[in-house]
Amino acid sequence: MVIDERNKEQTKGIKVINNPLNNNEFVTLHSLTKSYGAFRALDSISLGIKEGEIFGYIGPNGAGKTTTMKILVGLITDFQGEVSIGGFEVPRRKDEIHKLLGYLPQNVAFQEWRTVNQALKTFGKLSGLSDSKVDERIPEILGLLGLDDARQKKVSQLSGGMIQKVGLAQALLHEPKLLVLDEPLGGLDPMSRFQFKDIVLKLAKKGTTILFSSHILSDVQDVADRIGIISHGKIRQIGTLNELKAHLSSQKIVQVLLSYASDKWQEFGAIRHVESVEQPSPGRVLVYLEMGSDEDQVFNNIVQIIVKTGIRVRGVTLLEPSLDEIYLKYVSEAEN
Amino acid sequence: MKTGLLFVDELHGFYKSKVMVFLWIGLPIITLLVRFISAGNSGQNISFTLISALVVSSIGGTLASVMLAVFIINEKNRHVYDLFLIRPLKRRDIILAKFFSVYTCVAIASFIAILAGILTDYITAGSLSTVVLSNTGQSLVTSLSMIAVSCAAGVLIGVASPSVLVGAILVIYGGNQISVIPLIPALFNIQNATIFTILLASAVASGLLFVAVSLFESKQF
Repeated sequence: MVIDERNKEQTKGIKVINNPLNNNEFVTLHSLTKSYGAFRALDSISLGIKEGEIFGYIGPNGAGKTTTMKILVGLITDFQGEVSIGGFEVPRRKDEIHKLLGYLPQNVAFQEWRTVNQALKTFGKLSGLSDSKVDERIPEILGLLGLDDARQKKVSQLSGGMIQKVGLAQALLHEPKLLVLDEPLGGLDPMSRFQFKDIVLKLAKKGTTILFSSHILSDVQDVADRIGIISHGKIRQIGTLNELKAHLSSQKIVQVLLSYASDKWQEFGAIRHVESVEQPSPGRVLVYLEMGSDEDQVFNNIVQIIVKTGIRVRGVTLLEPSLDEIYLKYVSEAEN
Repeated sequence: MKTGLLFVDELHGFYKSKVMVFLWIGLPIITLLVRFISAGNSGQNISFTLISALVVSSIGGTLASVMLAVFIINEKNRHVYDLFLIRPLKRRDIILAKFFSVYTCVAIASFIAILAGILTDYITAGSLSTVVLSNTGQSLVTSLSMIAVSCAAGVLIGVASPSVLVGAILVIYGGNQISVIPLIPALFNIQNATIFTILLASAVASGLLFVAVSLFESKQF
């Protein structure tokens, strides 16, 4: 009953595709509100993340992503609403929560006198690992992140990308059940980003729940099971990438790439359920479908015309909105 | 209780820091220089141990409190504590470990400097009277008491101050004023002044640390 009421409340004013509030969620945020003076950084946001799920959290600068994460990990304790991790209320049960948690802040920083080894040893022990376990895990994690050679280096001697990796190492060291990663890919080279995504996918397969934010939408698209879009402190949309695409009320468009310039493409306009046809650049024809039309039928008719007229084509594709387009749509809607 | 672990950890960082290297080596050298200059100028036979104690408490206390305040403000502003605060430990452990590690380092440095004073007095005078030794002990207690209050003030200012500049000014002008509180029993010639000095310094330092910990506990990072 409580969940039903929460669901009703959550659906007020925002679109919820896949209601996340169910029993197997590991992280729950309900009506979370945080204000800094008159500025409302988070405005009654509710979301749930299932165990073993990778949740991508995206939004423009200042949208409230970092604030949400800081509340989750217990760095900000002054807020309204309910937050729980693994059934433990945040921040009241912080001792239990902190044992479950790995966190990589947006701008990770270490005391500069530390070597990588010293830093990881300290954080490992503080997380409750025994001396022998710490000694076993450090080379394992550093090897995984390609940091073997950096073990005895001082943190002050490392590049920004390497510090970011050490930050990730300290978050993974104690094998937490929940990983909260705030912009983990910032400053990483393409190879490291690939490694990171691989690690994240493997961890999720083992049952680790992962919440991560990023501005690099293609990376979010690659790994996230579900995506939440936040803007101006409010959740604008939550769902899988396919759900977000399906829900985006944009017009369906078929793109036909011609092998050479020909004006026979205008015949596509005669197809039933085609609203209009245009050629925005030579050889690239866009066929706009009427809302609610069957794209498979129109697709078939386009192919028939191609065969009948003998136009040579390089490809016929149904254009789907990218995550960038989805993101821009919801964020600009919020702006307006 | 992770204070012990953090204490050892912070000691690793502090004992080889530039400021501490200055205190380890520089403090005894400065006391020797002061002794040489004062002996040449005044012509008075001032106990070198007394000079050592004065130098130790003024330079050591100031440097320790500034160092503590600056370290804490820097680490706070760079979000170094974020990675500590998300682990199962009490926030007070971080603050107390920092205080005790710096205090331990400065206490050892002070002991070395005062020991240098005793040795110099022994070499120049040929022997050490019980009065000199008693004065030395008293000087050491006074120095360590003043340094404890200075360090606690440094921690409080470090936690409360938003910028390094403000923090450094507050420590130099405010922290040092507070650090003379343990001298009150000696100034008023109270009986058992040494014991009262220790008690007073412990009370003031504990009070300052309590406020610092309370502020740190409620801080939003």
